Parts: sequence; C-alpha cells; structure tokens
Amino acid sequence: MTRKDRLFYLALLAPATGMLLFFVAGPIGRSLYLSFHQIIIGFPQLDAPFVGLTHYQELLGDPVARHSFLITGIFVVTTTFFELLIGLLTALIINHRFPGRGILRASVLVPWAIPTVVSAQMWRFLFNDAYGTINYMLFGSDTSQYIPWLAMPGTALLSIIVADIWKTSSFAALIILAGLQVIPEELYQAAKVDGAGAWRRFRHVTWPLIRPALVLALLFRTIDAFRVFDLAFVMTQGGPADATNVIQLYGYKKMFVEGWLGYGSAISVSVFVIVLILSILYVKWTGQRLLEAKA
Amino acid sequence: MRSRKRHRALMTALSKKAIPFTMVLGLFFALQTPLARGKTTLVFLTWKPNQPAVWNGLLERFHRENPQIQVKRQVGPHSSTQYHAIATQRLKNRDSSMDVFFMDVTWPPGFAQAGWVAELGSWFSRAERREFLSGPVSANTYLGGIYGVPCYLGAGLFYYRKDLLQQHGFAPPRHWDEMIHHGQALLKDQGDPDLQIYSAQFKQYEGLVCNMLEFIWSNGGRVWDGQGGTSCLSKPATIEALAFVRDRIIGKAAPQGAVNYEEPESLELFVQGKALFHRNWPYAWAVMNNPKKSRIAGKAGVGPLPAFPGHQSASTLGGWQFGMSRWSTHQEEAWRFIEFMTSHRSQKFLALEAGLAPTRTSVYTDPEVQEKMPHLSAFLPAFKKARPRPLTPLYPMVSQVLQRFFSRAIVERSSRLSELAQVASEKMDKLLELGARIQK
Repeated sequence: MTRKDRLFYLALLAPATGMLLFFVAGPIGRSLYLSFHQIIIGFPQLDAPFVGLTHYQELLGDPVARHSFLITGIFVVTTTFFELLIGLLTALIINHRFPGRGILRASVLVPWAIPTVVSAQMWRFLFNDAYGTINYMLFGSDTSQYIPWLAMPGTALLSIIVADIWKTSSFAALIILAGLQVIPEELYQAAKVDGAGAWRRFRHVTWPLIRPALVLALLFRTIDAFRVFDLAFVMTQGGPADATNVIQLYGYKKMFVEGWLGYGSAISVSVFVIVLILSILYVKWTGQRLLEAKA
Repeated sequence: MRSRKRHRALMTALSKKAIPFTMVLGLFFALQTPLARGKTTLVFLTWKPNQPAVWNGLLERFHRENPQIQVKRQVGPHSSTQYHAIATQRLKNRDSSMDVFFMDVTWPPGFAQAGWVAELGSWFSRAERREFLSGPVSANTYLGGIYGVPCYLGAGLFYYRKDLLQQHGFAPPRHWDEMIHHGQALLKDQGDPDLQIYSAQFKQYEGLVCNMLEFIWSNGGRVWDGQGGTSCLSKPATIEALAFVRDRIIGKAAPQGAVNYEEPESLELFVQGKALFHRNWPYAWAVMNNPKKSRIAGKAGVGPLPAFPGHQSASTLGGWQFGMSRWSTHQEEAWRFIEFMTSHRSQKFLALEAGLAPTRTSVYTDPEVQEKMPHLSAFLPAFKKARPRPLTPLYPMVSQVLQRFFSRAIVERSSRLSELAQVASEKMDKLLELGARIQK
C-alpha cells in the first residue's frame, strides 16, 4: 500500500467516521461531561460547577434508582426469554410450506411495525379496569371479578411485559427465520434416512445450526429491552408506587421534569455502560458460537 | 480593456440570472405580506385546546382589532408535565422566537428564579392586580415581582348525585366519613354491583398531588411549615389523612383502578352513572350536564369538598397564566396580546363559550354570565379559598417527591406510613435547603 493509497482510503473513511463522531461519540461525550457537573435547568445562576463523581456516588445510594434498575432487570430477563421462545416457535411454523404462508409471514410482522406509542395506547385500553377487553375475555360480564391491571404494582409491571412480548416477539421470529432458511434441506433428508424423528431432527440438526441466530436475537433483544421507555411512559407514567418506573423513565423524569441535568446524565451514562458491557460480552460469545458452528 | 470586457460579460450574465431571481424574491415577499407591511409576528406557545374553535374565535377578534400584530400559535403536548419540558427547553436555550406562553399555576416562581420570564410590574399595575382573584395573583408573584397574568382558574370541586341524595333525604356530605356513610346507604339501595362511592384522580402524576393535598389540608396538615423551613410530612395530621385514603378510599369507596385514573377516566365513571361522588376541576360541570356525553345530565350537584371533622374544606388551586418570555424581542406587542386575552371581554367570552372559570372578579357579577352560568357563583367560595401548591422555584422536584410518597402510601399496603413519610421528609428537607441556598 503506497502512501497515496493510504490517503485515499483515509479520505474514503472520513465521511463515515465523521458522521459517527458527530452523531454517536459527540452526544455520549457530552452526556459524560454533563454527568460530572452540577447543572439544574431552572438555576442558570449555579454556573455548572464541576462535581467529579458525586452524581455516580449519589446514584449508588439512591433507593429509587436501585428499585428502577431491579425492575428494568426483571423486565429485560422475562421479555427476552419469552420473546425468544415465542419467536422460535413462530419461526418454526412459518418456515414450513403451507397455503397462505406469505400472508401469515407478513402479518407476523404487523405488531413490530406498529409504533410503540400506538401499541402502548392500545394495550392501555385493553388492560383498562372497567371497559378493557382483557377483563371481558377473562370474566365476561361478571364485573365484580374485573382486575385493575394497571392499578396494582405486580400486575402493572406484568402488563408492560406482556405488551412488549406481543410487540417484539415477531422481531425475534424474523431473525430466527433467517437462521432457519440457511439450513440445507439435505441435512433433514439425511437425518430422515437415518431414522431420526421430528424431535431428534430438531435437537441435532435445527438447534445447533440456528444457535448463532438465536444469540444474535438475544443480543438485540436484551439491549433493546434495557432501553425500554415508551411503554411505561404511555401506559403508567411509572406508577403505581414506582412499580413500572424503569431506569430510562427515571432518568427522563430527573432530567426533563425535575431539571437535574447532571444527575440525569449520570443515569444515562450508567445505562450506556451497562449496555456496552453486555454487548461486548455477547459479541465475544457470538463470535465463538459462529466458529463452533463452522467447525 | 480585457478586464472591462470580462466585467461586462459578468454583468450580463448576472442580469440574466437576476431577472428570475428578483421575480422569485418578489413572490417570496408578496407571500410574506405581514413582513412587507411591517407587521409584527408574535409566537404564542400553547397546548392543544379542548375547544379549538373558541380559542380561534378569540384570536380572530384580536387580529381584527390589532391588524399590525400577527399571532402565530405553536401547539405543545396536552399533558402539563410534558408541556413544561418543552417550554423550559426553549426558555433555557434563550429561544427568542417564542414571545408569549401558557404557564401552569405552579411554574411562575421557578421561571422567575431562572430569569426566563419577564417581570410585568410596569404593565400589570397593582391597581389592575386587585381586579383579579387573590389566589391566582399570589401564585404569579415571586419575591415581590409579578411574572404572569392569570387567564383562567381551576380549583378542586366536589360533584355529587343530587337526585339520589335527595331521594334519601341526605344533604351533601360535609365530612369524608359522612360521604362514605351516605354512599354505603345509597349503594345498598341501588343494588348495582358496579356502582362506586367515590371517583377521583390517584394515578402517580401531578393530579395525585392535588387530590392528596386536599385530604391533608382538610385535616389541618401541610407540606412544610410557613416559611419553608422544614417538612411537615411526618406530622400526625398528614399521616391520618393518608391512612384514611389508603384504608377507606382506595379499593373501598373508590375502585382500585382509580390508582391509574387521571381526570378523563375518573369523570367517565361519574358521567356513566357509576359513581355517587366525584372530585374534579370546574370544566367537569359542562361535561356532566351535556346529554350527549353524560347519562346524568341535570342530576348532579356541586359544592366544596368534604373535610375531616373539626377542619375546613380545602381545594387545590389550578389554572393557567400568560407569561412573557424574557428573550422576546416584541415585548410591547406581547403585552398588548396578554392584556387583550385577560380582559373582561375575553374572559367573559371564554367563560360563556368554553366554560372556563374567570380570574377577574368583575366577570362573576356580569349579568349575562350570571344568567347563563348560574353555577359559577356557587363555585366562587371554593375559588376564593383555593390554596396554591407549595410556592417554590423547586416545585417540579417537590412534586416528584410528593408523587412518589403519596403513590406508595396509598398503594403499598404493607409499608408503614411513618417510614414512607420519614423518607419523603428527608428528601423534602434536602430540597428546602437547596432552595434556601439558591435564593440567596
């Protein structure tokens, strides 16, 4: 590679790098900067003094933040598990050939295509305590049995989890379906010749070959679930009694409602760091899986 | 020579391009007539109104009378909290393109402390301020300055099923106990399993603060002592009121679902005839008496909220004010607009057409208003006594502490109220300390 070539390559890389710096590194750096300063929107007189790690120290001792992290953790684990499970089943079904498969494949994607704010509003109506369809389906016209889903801490969190599973299982299905389609038909035929039943064919042919796709779906879903905001924002505003006050919503409230720009940024940065660590772990793991799958 | 030639060529080329260019420019200015005629454009930030036609009518009238000023409306979110986020972002960024904006009743101290809102003392004279109800004016006053002009007012009102109470010979309840007692008697009689005694707003949001303060105040409690010294959230009066709501209202007199109710959901229950008593702002009166939206039109009564024995009824002050941006470059015109919108004529128009409660006392005695809205004079005592939420520039933070505390107090039955109050008190004291430091 000559010097000229090198310059040429660098020039080609520059636009993408510039975009990345401007739209990704810039805001992250800015958040980091803000999190080290005491800034309150309503008090410009404070002059944003440097406070070092004070906000992070405060965050460690903040019981509301701890509660929010716990809830977000529960949300991430349950939604990811069920979304992968349902996504896998859906993918296995729509991978088969049957009449109307095209329409079914397209319709599986509908929940995912609806903007979250719209579907959250829809679920808010479905879970309504007095005229919600879910109560009607469960208890008919026996209104004394009706459950106020969004008005009790446990069921409110459950409602948000259900809404998220409904919405994003199809995304997992899409990725897993892509994994299924690259499995050559001959492998199944060979397994059949060897006398393997449906379960054994799944266990020994399908499963090992779709594992990379599963891990990829797992990666996307965990990261995405960690950033949940809109469902809680629309359905419950974090209530009742903070039961659905997921960490991003807490950060939003601190920053934009109360005006603690510095502390709110510290929350955002913490979420960023957690998601970053998770991504690195997963990517390392996926890399290994991919190598194993090839071997 | 050569250079002159080149110069000429350049000129012809320019003029060739210049003709269409000037045409486009001319068209641009022709379309922007206000600019060409020296019109001033004012930008007014507002939320999406419930009755857009009424506000449009008022704006049209302003434009007719002030042809040299053009008011451009920018519509923000309907929720007060989200609207607050937009307004503060623009003020913080010293956005000079916004001239006039709506402020919720709890915002003026914060906006004044931040230096975002213009002091109106030179326009809004002391004599003029006396024409208004005192509660809303004091909500717009901070450290001796006046920072907003009240447009319309709100206060927590108590609505009840007049027809059913009369059937039983009950007078409207004056105590919370009495409300539950009357309610139970009526429930037994009506035999409708879906019927509830009380419907109000208990979701974890700003409305919860208003509702709970009414319970606490009507038991002689308060958020902090007079000068904003220390928190009073752990005082017995507060704890008793909270215990009452937790043990006798939530899931008992009111459905458990009320824990997720804002104004619309709670009003829906009442207008469907599924609740006997209801707490809401003045706008609810017009809705419940509209036969198209309500099954109980003409059957409701209204009055002050109940209190605990030995204490006075209390209602939370609400309502919206006009503020003028400190960064506005058209403050004279902005004042003309504010003055017009809060005049006797405009307030009367808003009262008659949109049912909004006036902030000027003269509107209440206006013969036409009295004839068409006889209930308004029944609201007046509650309006006069309505109490502002804590007047502090830190209100958004105070409100979050209160929302969290109140929601946990009424929802988490296993937690001890005194412990929850302790946590909230500590947070509150920290905020008070910060407030004192900043005001210095």
